[in-house]
Amino acid sequence: MKPPEYGVRIRRQRARRAALLRLLRNAVRKTGEQPDYGVRLRHRFSRRAVLIGGAQAGLFGLLLWRLRQLQIVESSDYRLLSDENRITTQLVAPVRGTIYDRAGRVVAEDRENFRVIVIPAFCKDLGATLDAIGRIVPVSAADKDRVMRAARRQSGYFPVLVVEGLTWRQFALLGVLAPQLAGVRPDRATYRRYHHASSMAHVVGYVGMADKAEVDEDPMMRVPGFRTGKAGIEKGLDRELRGQAGTIDYEVDAHGRVVRELASTPSVRGKDLVLTVDQELQTIALKRLEGLRVASIVVIDVLTGGIIVMASYPTFDPNDISFKIDARKWSELARAKDHPLENRALRGQYPPGSTFKVVTALAGLENEVITPFERMNCPGSYQFGRRSFRCWKAHGGGVDVHRAIKESCDVYFYETVKRVGIDRLAVTSRALGLGQIYDLGLAGQKQGIVPDTAWKRKRFGQPWYPGETISCGIGQGYVSTTPLQLAVMAARIATGRAVVPRLIVPADRALEPFAPLAIDPANLDLVRAGMYGVVNEPGGTAVRSALPLPDVKMAGKTGTSQVISAKNQHKLKGWEGETHALFIAYAPFDAPRYAAACVVEHGGGGSRAAAPVVRDIMTEIILRDPAARPSVAAVTQAGTASASVPEQPQ
Amino acid sequence: MKALFADSVERPQVLLKKKLLLLNWPFLLLITAIALIGVGALYSVAKGSLDPWASRHVARYCLGLGLLFVIALSDIRWWLRMAYPLYLVALLLLAAVMFIGVESGGARRWLGYQEYSFQPTELMKIALVLAVARYYQWLPPRQVSWPWAVLPPLAIIAVPVFLALEQPDLGTAALFGIIGFGLLFLAGVSWLYFLGGVVGVIAALPHVWEHLHDYQRERVLTFIDPERDPSGSGYHILQSKIAIGSGGFAGKGFMQGTQAQLNFLPEKHTDFIFTMFSEEMGFIGACVLLTLYLLALLFIAYMALRCRSTFPRLVAAGMGLCLFAYVFINVAMVTGLVPVVGVPLPLVSYGGTSMLTMMAGFGFVLNAHINRQVLIRREELGPFW
Repeated sequence: MKPPEYGVRIRRQRARRAALLRLLRNAVRKTGEQPDYGVRLRHRFSRRAVLIGGAQAGLFGLLLWRLRQLQIVESSDYRLLSDENRITTQLVAPVRGTIYDRAGRVVAEDRENFRVIVIPAFCKDLGATLDAIGRIVPVSAADKDRVMRAARRQSGYFPVLVVEGLTWRQFALLGVLAPQLAGVRPDRATYRRYHHASSMAHVVGYVGMADKAEVDEDPMMRVPGFRTGKAGIEKGLDRELRGQAGTIDYEVDAHGRVVRELASTPSVRGKDLVLTVDQELQTIALKRLEGLRVASIVVIDVLTGGIIVMASYPTFDPNDISFKIDARKWSELARAKDHPLENRALRGQYPPGSTFKVVTALAGLENEVITPFERMNCPGSYQFGRRSFRCWKAHGGGVDVHRAIKESCDVYFYETVKRVGIDRLAVTSRALGLGQIYDLGLAGQKQGIVPDTAWKRKRFGQPWYPGETISCGIGQGYVSTTPLQLAVMAARIATGRAVVPRLIVPADRALEPFAPLAIDPANLDLVRAGMYGVVNEPGGTAVRSALPLPDVKMAGKTGTSQVISAKNQHKLKGWEGETHALFIAYAPFDAPRYAAACVVEHGGGGSRAAAPVVRDIMTEIILRDPAARPSVAAVTQAGTASASVPEQPQ
Repeated sequence: MKALFADSVERPQVLLKKKLLLLNWPFLLLITAIALIGVGALYSVAKGSLDPWASRHVARYCLGLGLLFVIALSDIRWWLRMAYPLYLVALLLLAAVMFIGVESGGARRWLGYQEYSFQPTELMKIALVLAVARYYQWLPPRQVSWPWAVLPPLAIIAVPVFLALEQPDLGTAALFGIIGFGLLFLAGVSWLYFLGGVVGVIAALPHVWEHLHDYQRERVLTFIDPERDPSGSGYHILQSKIAIGSGGFAGKGFMQGTQAQLNFLPEKHTDFIFTMFSEEMGFIGACVLLTLYLLALLFIAYMALRCRSTFPRLVAAGMGLCLFAYVFINVAMVTGLVPVVGVPLPLVSYGGTSMLTMMAGFGFVLNAHINRQVLIRREELGPFW
């Protein structure tokens, strides 16, 4: 029926099937008939083979159970661990906003900075790794120490900055070698560059590495090389300038080498700022102050309140301390004789001396304790109780308010302030802007002191003694002011409006005019006329400091304030015993635009030391007239808005 | 020299052509499939490159295939005659390792120069199987469980086990033990011996523990619980578990295994290749691979069961035990079920010696299969040795 070849196949098939059946029978069957020992052993083998096979299958089942447990039940846990293994997230420091001066000149900007960072967790031996880096870029012992300490203190996965400011050559070399050095990463970042550094130093301030409190507050600070403002605008408006950090997820291998970039959120550039300060005039001002030992000057645009010049001498170069901090240089600066880091325009508190007489005069006129026509006699001293207060010279009779200001008669104001009283004087002082801190975006302003009975009780727990009022009338005693406050005072007198100083050009340029002061304009005119006389009329204390310009007149008031009471004067010798020289002024007289205040520490008389400084600087300002030109604010803000594309990190 | 085989006995010779027909070709196909999985895995480990591992793996497999055919087609009686001498040679080499072996990683395992070095333990795995099988071929079936008859095979097993422990190579010692005692069991030695042995070991354990030095105890504890030494093998096992677990059900995809590709895995081309494979291929891939091994074991069991004579039957069974022990210990190790011992995954791990050993072993299995109908009589063997 079937071809023979099929028969062969079927026979084979049957044989195989029979063999299998026999084997299974052997495995199950106990010996029925009595075979010989060989056959019994073979049967025993079959049984035991099935047993062992079963055991093996069971163990394979165990393996499968284990694989199921790992790969299905706990898979998500392990996937997480695997991602943690391979993905490191790195924060990308944002680019700090640029700071411009009012003319659009760059004052502070971020520049590209080549540097090396290490991730300690990925280094086999941190010390050896640093040594290897040291063969290409010098790594100082201090840097090494700092890296080691940082590696111990924080998580080993947080990158630590080793050296920065590499040359392109060093950077390229390290880039080639980095794959061999586990945990080392050459990195491009930015550093802060200050232009016209020493003249703008006090206004702009400087940046530095975040300190511990800041790091605790925001982990972004831990990004290696991240810097926060430490002084000036950089500190005051740090949050605006800072921007927002981005992140990059890197895939790294077991040695910490970056394999590829997985995802990134770009960093957001910090906001740009435009200062009201004119860098050119600021430089001129500082140059003018250079001859003096310690001096400061503030010039305000009285219409907008913008500070055009805020110079304090001695000064420093922020580039020295914001980048590659040199510990030696830093301590040198911090301990230097005349404290160059101190911005005296804001932080210097001086008795205003005779410049305060305009306040006393206004207080007297406003409260009608004196009239414009009242004339007093100045015999050269003033008797109050048992004390005698001196005038700097005997002015003789017929001193009215105009002459009193012009010739700076102390006796007139002793009498005025005695009539006004300290509390009413304080009201006028505050109205003129003294004893206040202004929202400039600058930290560390001093408040000065406008004394009154409440202040004294609070401060000393004592009542006010009438005798103390007398010296306050000429800006001595408890009264103390900063140059900025004096400039604001001059501006308020000049305009009759509550001028508020500002340092940043606001984004919206529509400025509300300042509110008028609650002072009778007629009284203000009287004081202004007195100040005009100081500079421009014969007998004025600063006639030698009239502006050398044909049609522009300046009004001002000199001040010479004692550092120490006349009795104890002999105790301070030399420079420190000298009086402070002060001068406040505004110009042009008929249409005030600029108000200035200058303090020369221990400079002697205000008319000799301070007034010429203001004259020179005011001349330069009037000649250039920065306030007449529109500030660049609108232009640059628009420009940077489009330019602030997110920084792509390298 | 006296002939090993009695001349008077008729010994039917199987022709080569017939032998080729009798060869178990599906089994060959199966192990080729497993080896190909190894090639794929090694290709992936090398980040998509045949060099340096995959190509040489193929070459070694081909070499091993040649060896397999030579062994499979050779005369089984010749191997019967060579069993004891081979065992002695292997024993001598194993002993020689103790004196002139190359030390690496705190253990002496290798003989010879770098590229031409080999591990005598590999030879011993084959020789041990042959020797035990040879012994039971000689032993009259009636005497299998007689006490004096159990002692010689115990000695045959115990000596290499102790030599392996001396190296020290715990994995191989365990392998020898599994193969040896498995063969004794299959040969038909009475249950009671095994029962007695297990009870004896359990009873002796506390006693031995008390007599160990502190550092020895520490070493044993670390062996049992690698987490005690997290910087060493504990780290490897953790990374291995992460890799396998993160593979999930379907795996990360061929050449997409991050753990392996990013070097978090140690020894990923040798002992930990299963980890890499199951990371990339997932639970499914691992199941497929394990199923292939299980199929191969079934084939071997089938071939062993069909043998008429004791020698081929035990040889085939011994090789089956060897394959099982390799696979189980390796997979259990990388999944963290048993401590880390250096045992490769047969046919998949990169490594010349283990590949050749496995292929030789399969050669013996096929040899036994070809000679399944041959009945070796006691008279053919001559004297005991």
